[in-house]
Amino acid sequence: MLRFDRRLIYDFDWVMVLFLLLVSGMALVNLFSSTWNGGPDPSPIFFKQLYILLFGYVLILILVTFDYKELVPLGYILYGVVILLLIYTGLFVHTIAGTQRWINLGFFHLQPSEPAKLAVVLVLAAYYSNHGTEDGYRLRDIVQPGILTAVPFVLIMMQPDLGTALMLGILFVSMTLFVKLRWSTISILGTAGIGVAFIGWKFLLKDYQRRRIETFLNPEGDPMNHGYQIMQSKIAVGSGQVFGKGFLEGTQGHLHFLPERHTDFAFSVWAEEWGFVGSVFFLGCYFFLLLWGINIAMTARDKFGVLLAFGLVMLIFWQAVINLFMIMGFLPVVGIPLPLFSYGGSSLLTTLISIGILMNIRMRRYQIKT
Amino acid sequence: MKNIRKRRKKREDQARRPVLNRDVDMTLISPHDDAELDFFKKRALSSAVVLIFFFAVLVSRLWYLQIQQGDRYRQMADNNRVRYVEVVPPRGNIFDCKGREIVTNRPSFNVVLSREDSGLNDEMLKKMASILGEDVSVLLERIRKMAGTPGHIPIRLAEDIDWDKVAFIENNRLELPGIRIEVVPRRIYHYGNLASHIIGYLGEINERELQASAAGVYRGGDLVGKMGLERLLEKDLRGEKGREYMEVNALGFEQKYLKGIEPLPGDDLKLTINMDLQRVAEDTMAAQDKAGAVVAVEVNSGRLLVAASAPALKLDEFVGGISYKAWQAMLDNPRHPLVNKVDQGQYPPASTYKLVTALAGLAAGVITPDTVFYCPGYYRLGNRIYHCWKHAGHGAVNLVQALAQSCDVYFYHVGQLLGVDRLAFYAGKFGLGRKTGVEMQGEKPGLIPTAAWKMRRYKKPWQEGETLTIAIGQGFDLVTPLQLCMMTATIANGGTLYKPGLIESIRDPSGRLVEQFEPHVSGRLTGQAANLKIIREGMIEAVNSRHGTGRSARLKGITVAGKTGTAQVVRLRQFKHMREEDVPYKYRDHAWFTCFAPAENPEIAVTVLVEHGMHGGSAAAPVARAVLQAYFKGRLKKAGNPALVMSSGRGGRSRAD
Repeated sequence: MLRFDRRLIYDFDWVMVLFLLLVSGMALVNLFSSTWNGGPDPSPIFFKQLYILLFGYVLILILVTFDYKELVPLGYILYGVVILLLIYTGLFVHTIAGTQRWINLGFFHLQPSEPAKLAVVLVLAAYYSNHGTEDGYRLRDIVQPGILTAVPFVLIMMQPDLGTALMLGILFVSMTLFVKLRWSTISILGTAGIGVAFIGWKFLLKDYQRRRIETFLNPEGDPMNHGYQIMQSKIAVGSGQVFGKGFLEGTQGHLHFLPERHTDFAFSVWAEEWGFVGSVFFLGCYFFLLLWGINIAMTARDKFGVLLAFGLVMLIFWQAVINLFMIMGFLPVVGIPLPLFSYGGSSLLTTLISIGILMNIRMRRYQIKT
Repeated sequence: MKNIRKRRKKREDQARRPVLNRDVDMTLISPHDDAELDFFKKRALSSAVVLIFFFAVLVSRLWYLQIQQGDRYRQMADNNRVRYVEVVPPRGNIFDCKGREIVTNRPSFNVVLSREDSGLNDEMLKKMASILGEDVSVLLERIRKMAGTPGHIPIRLAEDIDWDKVAFIENNRLELPGIRIEVVPRRIYHYGNLASHIIGYLGEINERELQASAAGVYRGGDLVGKMGLERLLEKDLRGEKGREYMEVNALGFEQKYLKGIEPLPGDDLKLTINMDLQRVAEDTMAAQDKAGAVVAVEVNSGRLLVAASAPALKLDEFVGGISYKAWQAMLDNPRHPLVNKVDQGQYPPASTYKLVTALAGLAAGVITPDTVFYCPGYYRLGNRIYHCWKHAGHGAVNLVQALAQSCDVYFYHVGQLLGVDRLAFYAGKFGLGRKTGVEMQGEKPGLIPTAAWKMRRYKKPWQEGETLTIAIGQGFDLVTPLQLCMMTATIANGGTLYKPGLIESIRDPSGRLVEQFEPHVSGRLTGQAANLKIIREGMIEAVNSRHGTGRSARLKGITVAGKTGTAQVVRLRQFKHMREEDVPYKYRDHAWFTCFAPAENPEIAVTVLVEHGMHGGSAAAPVARAVLQAYFKGRLKKAGNPALVMSSGRGGRSRAD
């Protein structure tokens, strides 16, 4: 019989648990409001998200039981499975709203691009921790992680899901800049990156994707579409003022002026109903959670732990920043959710798994002789 | 007991052991063990700075949006969700002097589209068109016409639709986003087209009127008075708009009622007009199928009892906008239905002007009531001959006879003795040649010439022969029927010239009196009582003596005093020897009759002009008689009332003037 390791309790990351509960609690409160249809009962969407959340908590409890070094082979397996699923969606899944993103599992619509982000973080962390360097990586040293990122990147671009694909790119850049690079490598990559962006704009982007960016640069030109969404979001946020309009009292959300109000624009609803005070409280909790993740990276016992923790924090952080920037009118409409806060099972599970792994790293920060 | 505690303690010790081990382990980890791990941890620390930076950016952005710009965005959110609908107030009602309704309102239903809420939805417009039974292009045209206006102003798609269509639209609201039924009061004319020129009509406000009005009072599509009292008293009649504030969702469906401001109805108008008499006047004119004007006034106050212009306007044609074709037809009509002939029609006064010449002669002392002139049928001035209408001549006539028989030669004498300027002075005393100031639109002043006027106008000196023409009311002389009526009233009441009044009272919706009619004296003929009595005698004779020209106005039981007139439109030799009926309509003479009654104690003055009616005695006098008959109904002697109304025998023996 497996002996229960007491350290699972003594070293348990209660700080993370506290902030996880705070943030996901606020998310549930907000989901209740954004999907509320005037009656006394929450909508079915609310319960769906609640069950996934509870399932995710259980998953966290399982994830902390084994040492995270086991994740190296698991990461490669996950990576392989994700690539297969992405190919599968590209080939066999019917188009929904012009894109092919979801695989119907009967009880759950899986969006394989979400675990793809997690898989990329895992394999990059594994690669860089295995291939140490004294005086920085040269260009050829990062060809392999580049390919590891590029394969799912291209597959997701083809769906097409620009936002998620870009997330992979951002994760690759963040993690590669995190490890030691030679200056020559950085300058070559920078030049190449600008070139790719230019070619991508010219040839690879779909019309609607290009229009979104154009709209952002010139919002007056397209008042009823994407500019309209951003405008309505800014109105929702701004009209919350200091203390907000109150729970269930947001007019922008409940009168349907806000688009996607329980998914991508969930935070607009929160900002409208809870105002500056509520928004800063939420962001405070959220960023404390992220900084705690950085703290986990700084106290990890080995390179893999540091890289993995850092990568996972970046995974959550960049999605949050892009989402919030969009909501506050700094960025065009990109379909990136606010992790833990927006409605969506795949994203929530991925984020909870990330947090589970972070807790795992935290709990095993001391070298233990065995 | 002790045992258990011991055991527990042991268990706790065991449990604590890894903690102790951990402390030991910690010393085993040297930060410099692995240079790269150390490098990573420094990087992680600097990434925390990046995180905090982004947190600061987000919080300051929130500060900017929610605190600095919060009021503005709150306003924008309210603009998003709050729609107001203007509620058009019922326009003021119009009553006659007896308190009978002339114009009131009824509810009508319009279909309006708010563009903000629906965008332009083809599907919905098609559905709407089929409900209304119209082509989509009609609706699109209406939308196109409003394209330049701000988006929050709704567009009227259809007006005054039936009840069943209203019910159908209300039942299918969910399929018709942005469509609303608007209840708007609409004018209803209880007396049909009677008094149409005085009342006027409503029409959609035009660009010019919109710009001239104060902000917020009107907006495109509103109905405003375009003519008559509806226009002159627009400010009193229109009332104040109300507003209903609704909360709407992004699709434009109303979610809840927020608040409302009740509209304030317009002020009610009571006219001095008596619709019974007005009806008689207009019906009599219509029965003759003639263009012209009928004016009746209370001689002792200036209250207008009748102000009719024929042909009448068809008011119903104007409701909801008149078609271009109908408008053009009215402009081209030789009887000029759009002109209110009461105050806008200017005609030579002809023989009715002899009343002025007579008074001027007496007042200036050039004649006395007993002055006799001999009429051989013509008058010679220099080497020109001026004819009397009766070529055989009237023989020796005094002033009363001359007025009764309308002897031209007598007044040629008087005119020559007076000169043009003295004549004009007394015409001015009667209010001729200037506007009366009545509450009607576009009043004309008429024209009473003087020597100085001719010099100014034509740069030519006055000819003495022209004075003769003026003395019998031809030539340059022009008067409106209203002016002539006020002059007649002045003769009747002994010299007080009143300003004609049309409005008895104006009351606001709570019944408070805003304005009340008061007689307004605009001129007085002082010291002329005796002279005016002589003139009244001449007018009595004109109607009641055997040779009088106005005999067709006689009434049994009431003494009518009057004066006929036949105004030449053109003096053309080619018509000289034609039978009158063969002269083309537009060259026929205008017929005048002006009178008052009862002669002994005058109450009412009536003036009738029949355009191209040819003879005052035959065409105009019967109309005046019909009005008088209606006015004195009950005071007349029943027996032997001769049916003269339509007979043209008496007055029209020859050019009976």
